[in-house]
Amino acid sequence: MANLRLLAILQTDCPSCRLIAPYLNALSGRDGRVRAISQDSEEATREFVGQMGLRFPVERDPGFEVSKRLGATTVPTLFLMDEDRVVRQEPGFDKTVLNELAALLGHGPIATPYDGAPASKPGCMSRHLEVQTNDAPAAALNLHATCGGRACTIDLADTEDPFEYCFQAFGDALPVIPPTRERVDKIVRASGRDPEEVIVRIPPCYGEATVEKIAANAVMAGCVPEMMRVLIPLMRAVADERFNAHGVQATTHFAAPLIIVNGPVRRELGFHSRQNAFSNVARANSTLGRALQLILLNLGGARPEGIDMSALGNPGKFSYCIAENEEENPWEPLHVDQGLAREQSAITLFAAEPPHGVSEHNARTAHGVLKSISYSLATVWSYRNCLGFEAVVALGPEHVHTIHRDGFTKQNVRDFLFENTGVPLRCYEGEAGEGVAQRGSYKQITIDGESCYQKFRAPESIKIVVTGGTAGKFSAVLGSWSAGPRGSQMVTYAV
Amino acid sequence: MNEIAPSAAAPAPRLMTLDGKTIALLDISKPGGSIFLDRVERLLKERYSVASVIREMKPTFAKPAPAGVIEKIRSADAVIEALAD
Repeated sequence: MANLRLLAILQTDCPSCRLIAPYLNALSGRDGRVRAISQDSEEATREFVGQMGLRFPVERDPGFEVSKRLGATTVPTLFLMDEDRVVRQEPGFDKTVLNELAALLGHGPIATPYDGAPASKPGCMSRHLEVQTNDAPAAALNLHATCGGRACTIDLADTEDPFEYCFQAFGDALPVIPPTRERVDKIVRASGRDPEEVIVRIPPCYGEATVEKIAANAVMAGCVPEMMRVLIPLMRAVADERFNAHGVQATTHFAAPLIIVNGPVRRELGFHSRQNAFSNVARANSTLGRALQLILLNLGGARPEGIDMSALGNPGKFSYCIAENEEENPWEPLHVDQGLAREQSAITLFAAEPPHGVSEHNARTAHGVLKSISYSLATVWSYRNCLGFEAVVALGPEHVHTIHRDGFTKQNVRDFLFENTGVPLRCYEGEAGEGVAQRGSYKQITIDGESCYQKFRAPESIKIVVTGGTAGKFSAVLGSWSAGPRGSQMVTYAV
Repeated sequence: MNEIAPSAAAPAPRLMTLDGKTIALLDISKPGGSIFLDRVERLLKERYSVASVIREMKPTFAKPAPAGVIEKIRSADAVIEALAD
């Protein structure tokens, strides 16, 4: 073990190389057992070493001689060397591998499960394998730059209608407000931020969401300048790996990002949470939802005629933004369930199907109202499919009144819906269909004397939100896209 | 810079023959993918003189392939990916 050393082959603009750098620092210690080879220029390498604060020697690889000799096809690749012999070769970023290598080098674990980095991430192609062409090289995609370029300016001839031009170039199949320099500058100023600051990159094509480009899309959507204080955390939420916008935006499923607004910002910016909660009442809801969609189109690149492959789509892809009616909510609002303080403003993102209405005007008890909702909940995704998804239950104030009057807490509501939502075993007899083959993994429960498979994985899979008007005994259920760490998870960010 | 002009990457060179080639079959974990790829593998071996077939699987179709999976199929001359159910 005494002679084991680690050699890393890196590129300065590879996201996985940037991801792995701090772990290599942790392993480097004082004994010089970690070294790296950079495939890039002296200048780029020096900048990389400085930016990442690397504490181990980094040499260059002119002509890619070392990379070729070692047979590296990917960067990063880690080579565990015993003298000049390669003992182990590990491409890409992988926390399990890093910990194994650390152990072999006599070091404790260096990568913990929830340290902010993903469990694994593919690397980039080794430079010596990149296709050589006579074209000028494209500017490298630097996924870690915090300062992006300024947005380009397009000059239109006087004969061209700017509304028609922007409609064609940037629209969501509806007209947009042309993002003139003056309009964009006004919103950028309201944000108090540098226009070139990169907030996040928007999946699936990872376009840079600079403050200026967020502002340009906010202008087009019709947002007031003050909306930037919501849009900045919304961008962080949509780029959160747990939300997995990459999958949500590319799936063939119905899902669209639903924004749920909580806290004082509802009143401060005029978010509407009463009658027509899901519709076109308030400028704040409509334009925030639309700005997110325009950003997903124009910066994320998931265009509905291209990468966004949804078979039937979702009307929420024009705008999908509700606010919780906290005034009619006798329990804690959603953002408190998600771990924030009650007086904190927040936005929550959920990959939602379109809302499915539940009318219940005749039940007189909490039990009766919740039973009705459970029947609709059993149908999300598809009736016989269980466990792989979550749901938002948007409770209307009249239903809330009945449920609360009968002494139910919010946890009681979740528990009741969890215990009472299932699919009878008899539905699985006969013809094969979706959800049938997986029934070995489902949990069998008894609902009203009948054997059923439990629809949801846990009470927490059912997210309760109070919204809507005080006239009419209605609620709605909204199924999710594939949920959990392998799909999309609900994320909440403070505003 | 004009963000409206799309940037394109050139596709990999097309194979002129399958003879002696290594073909990777990538299952993205959607139901039915393995059935389709089993059949493709059989056809490749019965009808064409491929050198070898590499079988790999993504842990979930909902996210990009992890490093290990990409690495294992990188050496292939071509990849056939079973995308949907």
